[in-house]
Amino acid sequence: MKFLTILFTTVLVIVAGCKGKASKSDSNEVVLHSALAAKVRGLDPGDIGDTTSSLVASQIFECLYQYHYLKRPYELVPQLAEDMPQVSEDGLTYTIKIKKGVYFADDQCFENGKGRELKATDFVFAWKRIANIKYISKNWWIFDNKIVGLDEFREYTKSCKKAADVDYSRKVEGLAASDDYTLIIKVKKPWPQITYLLAHLPTAPVAKEAVDYYGRDIINHPVGTGPFKLQKWHRGSYIELVKNRSFREEFYPSEGEDADRADGYLTDAGKRLPMIDRILMTIVQEDPPRWFLFMQGKIDASGIPKDNFNEAIDQRGKLTAQMQKRNIHLRIFRDPSTYWLGFNMEDKTLCGNKPLRQAINCAVDKEKYIKLFTNNRGEVAYGFIPPLMKAYDSSIKDKVKTTYNPDKARQLIKEAENIYGGKLPKLTLAMPGTDAVIRQRGEFLKRCFKTVGLNVEIDYMDWPTFQNKIKTKSVQMFMLGWIADYPDAENFLQLFYSKNASPGPNNFNYSNPDFDRIYEQIAVMPDSPERTKLYRKAERIVIEDCPAVFLMHGVAYVLYHDWLYNYKPHAFGYGLSKYRRIDTAKRADYKKLLKTGE
Amino acid sequence: MTAYIIRRLLYTIPIVFGVLLITFVLFNLVGGDVTDQIAGKAASKETREEIRQEYGWDKPLFLSWDSQFFNYLKNAVTFDFGRSWEDRELIIDKIKRGAGPSLSLTIPMFIGTVVISISLALIVAFLRGTIIDALAVLLCVAGMSIPFLSFILFGQYFLAFKWGLFPVFFRPDLSPPQYVALPVLIGIAAGLGGNLRFYRTVMLDEMRNDYVRTAFAKGLSTKRVLFKHVLKNSMIPIITQVVLAIPFLFLGSLLLERFFGIPGLGYLMIEAIGARDFQVINAMTYIGAILFVIFNLITDICYCLVDPRITLE
Repeated sequence: MKFLTILFTTVLVIVAGCKGKASKSDSNEVVLHSALAAKVRGLDPGDIGDTTSSLVASQIFECLYQYHYLKRPYELVPQLAEDMPQVSEDGLTYTIKIKKGVYFADDQCFENGKGRELKATDFVFAWKRIANIKYISKNWWIFDNKIVGLDEFREYTKSCKKAADVDYSRKVEGLAASDDYTLIIKVKKPWPQITYLLAHLPTAPVAKEAVDYYGRDIINHPVGTGPFKLQKWHRGSYIELVKNRSFREEFYPSEGEDADRADGYLTDAGKRLPMIDRILMTIVQEDPPRWFLFMQGKIDASGIPKDNFNEAIDQRGKLTAQMQKRNIHLRIFRDPSTYWLGFNMEDKTLCGNKPLRQAINCAVDKEKYIKLFTNNRGEVAYGFIPPLMKAYDSSIKDKVKTTYNPDKARQLIKEAENIYGGKLPKLTLAMPGTDAVIRQRGEFLKRCFKTVGLNVEIDYMDWPTFQNKIKTKSVQMFMLGWIADYPDAENFLQLFYSKNASPGPNNFNYSNPDFDRIYEQIAVMPDSPERTKLYRKAERIVIEDCPAVFLMHGVAYVLYHDWLYNYKPHAFGYGLSKYRRIDTAKRADYKKLLKTGE
Repeated sequence: MTAYIIRRLLYTIPIVFGVLLITFVLFNLVGGDVTDQIAGKAASKETREEIRQEYGWDKPLFLSWDSQFFNYLKNAVTFDFGRSWEDRELIIDKIKRGAGPSLSLTIPMFIGTVVISISLALIVAFLRGTIIDALAVLLCVAGMSIPFLSFILFGQYFLAFKWGLFPVFFRPDLSPPQYVALPVLIGIAAGLGGNLRFYRTVMLDEMRNDYVRTAFAKGLSTKRVLFKHVLKNSMIPIITQVVLAIPFLFLGSLLLERFFGIPGLGYLMIEAIGARDFQVINAMTYIGAILFVIFNLITDICYCLVDPRITLE
């Protein structure tokens, strides 16, 4: 018995010692409850490379520009900048005025713990930091070979022993702060996408004091200028953000799309942001508990897990009666994404055999794939530019010759065998995962190929192995996709530029001089109808060469409770919690509704 | 006994060295290169080289004082596991933070399973051949056949979501007993089948001995026979089972932690395996190996304590 008593006492001590409580909150505080589907890796914007960390960090950090919350097509508006940039006639110099009176959140890294005013030099420091090779940022691609003198600065950092040895006062010609509120950027050649990237989280300003004070632990101590600041981060469990009391005056937009007024998105026009006091983000990686939490009203909004789709959406694609009874709302919106089965164009069997690549294209039943694996939450892709983009060609379906057609696939295989000089060898499709869903997808594709007489082996592998194989060009076919970083189709086109071949983003190792010529031309062109035409032309060249089976473009379904207001889906939606409003009375009513057993 | 303990502790060194060597070799043979994952999309060759240099992956694997394996050994001995490549956090901080939640889940689960299964095993063994015994065996086999995940999904759906008896998931405003209650219950229910069956067999072997019949013939009470004699004489297999399970408590419960949002070491381990975070896997394996060797020694000492016929030489 003594043994048991000791054991029980130990348990009680351990249990009592596991203090996991969030900070005590005022009962009148308005709290937004959300769930994160993956763990947060770090909150240092310079090194952020994953969506979940960006979702959190974007509530804390701000960029020079942001997307207008309501207007569509997506439009950039100033955030930390006073106005849109002044661009020199040659398109090589950008002058950006910074807003006055913007302060970093209070933090012990500053003198007396009081956040200081944001200056243009904070941007210069943040971007030089990304260039510092010893910092090993995931985001150097943004500035690589773009800004005058920044590549030379990166070269210099190679000679430093560690990140802390780098002299950030070293001059970079293309990055200068002419005064505290003026930033001058000189680019090597016209860079029309720069403003989109200045709205991209990694380009957010970082206070040097914070970097010096926290060192490598800066990932745990985000110090930004945004509407919220980090209160508590229990890694792998939850994150709590609270309103940044020193946040400047920013107001809810007064303009939007035509339907926004009727949809209630303009009710809060002109109100000061943010409209909530706290955000509690719980990390829930499994679908069942996330769904249960949403249905219990413990989280305010959620996607729809595949297994619960029929519970939420009826045959007509509308909310089921049960959802309507619970006053749950549905929003459907297009993702800026395209998913594909890519071909390694350097593979001996595939590269010189276009009929084979076309046959593979004709063999895949994309509609069935979308229905089976996404509950129809997708659109068949005919090219790689998603319908959300301005450059999307709505007539592309009629121009593509390789839609699902098993008979045509069989004919093409005969042609392919003639080129190959005999029976085609076994092909291999690399899949990015080993879980049940990936295996189901693999089996489906295998069956599609088998139907037309193609022998394809499905090779399931974990993500690091998959990535490594792609970067080393050692896959034959692979399943992958791309979600746009900004609403410009150039972001997709760069995936086919020959100079970006693996280990760069061109995983197809596709090379076509005609395409390259057009890409080089459009990469420096400002937005214009002519550029859109060239985008479409470039896309058609790729489709004709067939370096991939373009499977689908994503469509997202989100559900939210009626107490959550201003929940307008946004394809580039980071840092949007500031716009949310919560009706706590309605939230309390939901609890009563649940008690009645509805 | 002291000499035995010292000798056994010295054996720890080659055992742990072997574990470290095997882990290192296996990881380098089949682990793959995670440089691209760290580098992010569109990373240049020089960035990848810098990463390899930063983590020491550019050094030779063996045969040098500055080899990857030697540094790995050095770090293990000093418990300086470095930083996780995935999120650049200190690994020792991760382990310290995860140990509490993991143990708060696994210790009650372990104690509950052991106490309930041994108690039930005694009763079932005593009632051998009756309908209760047959039913218990049937339930044990059924319990062992149902996947652990089904227990979790069933418990979470009915007990937490539908009937609201427990919270569905961890919330910061809940106290640890509140959020570990359901996973502990599920863990006990899922573990009961195998354990009860094992202990029943152990008890039955013991009950068939002559001394049990003699004890009953002498008029001793059932309680006294079962707890004073049968249980005591069954201690050797029970100790083997129980003490050797203790090091695994440290590793947490992978599925329960993930489904109930308990930020423990099981969660940490599964994340590390998924992300090929070798530094974290190495640290956990190393600590696990040390604990296993220590608890093996404790098992031997316990044998000696419960059975005077056993001496440690």
